[in-house]
Amino acid sequence: MPPSSAGASAAGAHVARALGTPWRAVTVFLLPAATFYVAFTAYPVFRTLWNSFHKVLPAKEEFVGLANYAELVRDEIFWRAVRNTLVWACTSPLFEVSIALVLALALYAKVPGRRFFRIAWFTPVLMSYVVVGIIWAWIYNYDWGAVNTGLRALGLNSWTRAWLGKQETALPALIFVTTWMWSGFNMVVLLAALHSLPSEVIEAAELDNCGWWGKLVHVIFPMIRPTVLNLVVLSFVGKMKIFDLVWITTKGGPLWSTETVSIYVYKRAFEWNTFDLGYPSAVASVWFVIVLGSVLTLSYVFRQREKLEY
Amino acid sequence: MHRLQRAVVLFALCVFTAFAAGPFFWVATMSLRTTSEISRDHYAWPGTLHWNKFPDAWFNSNYSTYFQNSLLVVVSAVIILTLVGAMAAHCFARYRFKLNRFFYFIIFSTIIFPPQITIIALFQILVQYGLFNSLIGLTLVYVAFQLPITVYILESFFARIPGDLFEAARIDGYSEMAIFWRISLPIALPALSTTIILNTILLWNEFLYAVVLITDEDKRTLPLGIQRFMGDQMEDIGMISTGLMIAIIPVVLIYAFFSEKLIQGMTAGAVK
Amino acid sequence: MATVTLDKLCKRYEKSHDLAVDHVDLAVAHGEFMVLLGPSGCGKSTTLRMIAGLEAISSGSLAIDGRVVNEVPARDRDIAMVFQSYALYPHMTVRDNLAFGLRRRRIDGAEIARRVDDVAGTLGLAPLLERKPFALSGGQRQRVALGRAIVRDPKVFLFDEPLSNLDASLRVSTRAELIRLHRRLGATMIYVTHDQVEAMTMGSRICIMNHGKVVQIGAPLEVYRRPADTFVASFLGNPPMNLVKATVENGQLILGAARLALSPALLATAGTARALTFGVRPEDLAQSSGGEGSFGAEVTAVEPLGAETIATLRIDGSESELNARLGRDANVKVGERIHLRPDLGRVRLFDAASGVALN
Repeated sequence: MPPSSAGASAAGAHVARALGTPWRAVTVFLLPAATFYVAFTAYPVFRTLWNSFHKVLPAKEEFVGLANYAELVRDEIFWRAVRNTLVWACTSPLFEVSIALVLALALYAKVPGRRFFRIAWFTPVLMSYVVVGIIWAWIYNYDWGAVNTGLRALGLNSWTRAWLGKQETALPALIFVTTWMWSGFNMVVLLAALHSLPSEVIEAAELDNCGWWGKLVHVIFPMIRPTVLNLVVLSFVGKMKIFDLVWITTKGGPLWSTETVSIYVYKRAFEWNTFDLGYPSAVASVWFVIVLGSVLTLSYVFRQREKLEY
Repeated sequence: MHRLQRAVVLFALCVFTAFAAGPFFWVATMSLRTTSEISRDHYAWPGTLHWNKFPDAWFNSNYSTYFQNSLLVVVSAVIILTLVGAMAAHCFARYRFKLNRFFYFIIFSTIIFPPQITIIALFQILVQYGLFNSLIGLTLVYVAFQLPITVYILESFFARIPGDLFEAARIDGYSEMAIFWRISLPIALPALSTTIILNTILLWNEFLYAVVLITDEDKRTLPLGIQRFMGDQMEDIGMISTGLMIAIIPVVLIYAFFSEKLIQGMTAGAVK
Repeated sequence: MATVTLDKLCKRYEKSHDLAVDHVDLAVAHGEFMVLLGPSGCGKSTTLRMIAGLEAISSGSLAIDGRVVNEVPARDRDIAMVFQSYALYPHMTVRDNLAFGLRRRRIDGAEIARRVDDVAGTLGLAPLLERKPFALSGGQRQRVALGRAIVRDPKVFLFDEPLSNLDASLRVSTRAELIRLHRRLGATMIYVTHDQVEAMTMGSRICIMNHGKVVQIGAPLEVYRRPADTFVASFLGNPPMNLVKATVENGQLILGAARLALSPALLATAGTARALTFGVRPEDLAQSSGGEGSFGAEVTAVEPLGAETIATLRIDGSESELNARLGRDANVKVGERIHLRPDLGRVRLFDAASGVALN
């Protein structure tokens, strides 16, 4: 293989190594990624922050200082959206991870057909939120949706509802959908974590008079704790960002009961009768800080005080 | 575990499987029935299999356009992502320089950013540069969007390649770029295929950026196209079902052949 | 303290044709230190795990103190095990690791504290009690694993290659500690290893296994001096016993070009076998000046080790090579021809085909 310019001879290569980092190569490797990052991620973040201090109309930009933020504090819909999103983000991990844990333990215990189950349960995650939203909107349909049809078949007519049409049930109904979607995903991750546990430690627990419950509580749960907490954080962050599902099913209704911050930002930016991008930018900026702050807080609270080496 | 316990557990698991996969099968059956058949009984098994609904939706309801747009955007974005991501990952993993971890952290941390913080400005930028409502603009945004997770997955893989291989190559006179092409990439093929599959699925299903940055009917991607049919009072359920299947089938095919890779890719980083 | 009796114990894994453990018969007496020795894959670990209850027994019976325990779950067998990887609970302190098994058995708190402190003192773990496993060195972790077993005061101790993850010097000192421990506690211990030095120095008896079967059971020196077959002969000793082809003719052993007179006793054991494998340990070959009872050989390699010299030689008139342990002042060079006299009282004759010992 012929050597090429930058490291021409063995001596040259030695010199390059002795000098340390080949800066030319590093630049070449990082430049494309850096360009994309700066152009489509970093710059937009700053631009959005910039917007938040202005009134951004199609024809002109007008500096307004903290006016947008002041309005934000008084904006009831915004706070409703924040509450809805936080409720979603805080309850989802509870359901998604605990169901996943039960399922993962069942497969770990060598139930027959576990390869099939693992593949089947993972499928909801593969579907686009659009597809999921449409299907569940149909399932929740008052007249012929699967939920109400099933209830009527069981004679529980009084329990039928317009699930997505009533304020009290809309958000829980959507939370149910995301739980349906992500339980399988979490299960797969937890199963992998369970399989990575050293079998000798579990055998030692067996010899230390632990039945299956004892092993779970004293050995297995403590050792998969990092993964469980990781999934909780992932689930939390995912729900803080949620948009697609709500947009397809309820668009934030009825009466803002399913309004999430992402939906609100979209509406204010692209569907409001004033074309001001400044205010939604302020909302986005505040939300950005809230999300980052929550993740940092969670990470701090969940931090592993010492390494769990095994 | 006693026999009875086992049977109960198995039964519960089967119920959950029906719960998890049921909706999908329901749509699959509906995609082969006409809307009038469906209106009569929503849950019946298809009497006659109306395979013609597929070409019908494809040609007459613009699904062909949506599918092609999605295909174009996703394939281009994934190709660019793989190259750009691999180069950056290789660089982070193999070279020691002062700000290495800092830059890596900056790129990696954007995974938790809510998209709202960038979407408004991206809208402005694309309009400003004439890339609004263009598949090119969307492709570029998609690349930036998936770059962090791609770099994350590939970096941990590149880091595990033994350094001796690179030393030997350098002694043999290879340039850094040649080392990347002839050593890093071929060895990293498993991880590369994982990120390719992952990115394909995630971008195929992506909705938010598409809905903001594309408004022209003939530029819509598949998720957008499907969404267009929703919300009418007289929903053509049969046709929408067929459309849904058109959107789902590529994903199912990939999953059928690469389920292990796909699962690994999507769960990468979640296991600690 | 208890006896452990294995009667035709077998283990067959599903989908496998062969037996991983093939009709093992073993009787371990009260307070005995029994070593299961053999190469990797010979079934010794599987046998140990069956005794522990971590592997199901396919057939045969296992009795602890006379009571058959095939169906008894591991935690009820009153045994303790030290694993190769130590298997400490990574999220618990050393104290909790030691106390865990006792707490699970609802032993009184004060008693637990007493036992833990006692064992910690014996093993030098007292300053480490509040640490977690990740902050311990390999040797320290091994002692915690040992302590965890001792604190349980079990009927039988099981060891699964506990020293293999330690570095060489630590291995030597820990070996001595284990021997002292056995003497102090007087407990029944079953120890699995592939290292013959550990087996020779620690065991009251060694059980040598190969391909799932028991090949020989006996005291270390017994097994060393009178190996039951060529496998055992070549497994013990470093360098191993020399095994060369030979024949018996007219009351003489034909070794290459040499003819050695055999004693009547040896001749009797050789029986009617014509072709044999002649076994002699390197230390049982002495350099001689020739004459009766010795044979000539050419030196092909010399390893001067300081305390002794190992020479590799080729027997005159044959292609067979053997190793000889010569004194530290032996002055032999490659290519030189010398005479060696085997100590006929210590040689072994094996059947050439089956490798089974004849004398």
